[in-house]
Amino acid sequence: MASQATGSTGVALFDLADRRLAWLGAREGVLSQNVANANTPGWKSRDLTSFASYLSSSAVSGSTLALTNPLHMKGTLPDTAGVQVQPGEQAPDGNAVSLDDQLMKIAQTDTDHELVTTVYTKYLGMFRMALGR
Amino acid sequence: MDLDKALSISAQGMEVQTTRLRVIAENLANQDTTGTTPGANPYRRKTVEFEDQLDRATGETTVKVKKIGQDMSAFPQRFDPSHPAADQNGYVRTPNVNSFVEVMDMREAQRSYSANLQVMQVTRGLLTRSIEMLK
Repeated sequence: MASQATGSTGVALFDLADRRLAWLGAREGVLSQNVANANTPGWKSRDLTSFASYLSSSAVSGSTLALTNPLHMKGTLPDTAGVQVQPGEQAPDGNAVSLDDQLMKIAQTDTDHELVTTVYTKYLGMFRMALGR
Repeated sequence: MDLDKALSISAQGMEVQTTRLRVIAENLANQDTTGTTPGANPYRRKTVEFEDQLDRATGETTVKVKKIGQDMSAFPQRFDPSHPAADQNGYVRTPNVNSFVEVMDMREAQRSYSANLQVMQVTRGLLTRSIEMLK
């Protein structure tokens, strides 16, 4: 990780906040797909894998395909490895989206995002204080 | 996938629900529309089908209206020999629109529309807060 190269514990927090915000943004996108397709026959709701697993996978190899030789070509399809189909009750048309469930997850994403941005701003404020500005 | 895409997905979701409401409005407006010549068919109820659509460039899945179809169920008949559309036995065919079904469908469309709007508002909140981090 870039933060370890700089050797500062402060930057590690910014790096973590950065990853958390990226994950929350991606989750918001996946959840909005579920709500948009709430009446599409056969659509199953999706969600991202947990932030912990996202963090451990991206820390080791990034989210791209592992290459055994630098001459090998990378895949061009967008990476959807973190997206999982969620089990749920199915309507007769095969749709398995529960709007209440999705809106609850979106509210959760919203709260988490607020937490991260607040911590980030506070931490930045501490830097400013140390610099005497 | 970033927040702008989430906004466009929600907008697409609202658009298809609007189309659905438009079709419901057509059905309700025409629930008494009969033919004008003897034995003619009345207004036939329209249906909307949704389909998920994968955008290969961005990897996002939006929603679109697959087809506006027609309800092929039989027309109810009413005995009214003086009507211009009555056949030789005196029966008039009336539209196969059931207003209760339409109103229920309208409620569902409204609920889905609100849900998409809610997602859009939350996404906008996320964007606003991200911008405020710069201050």
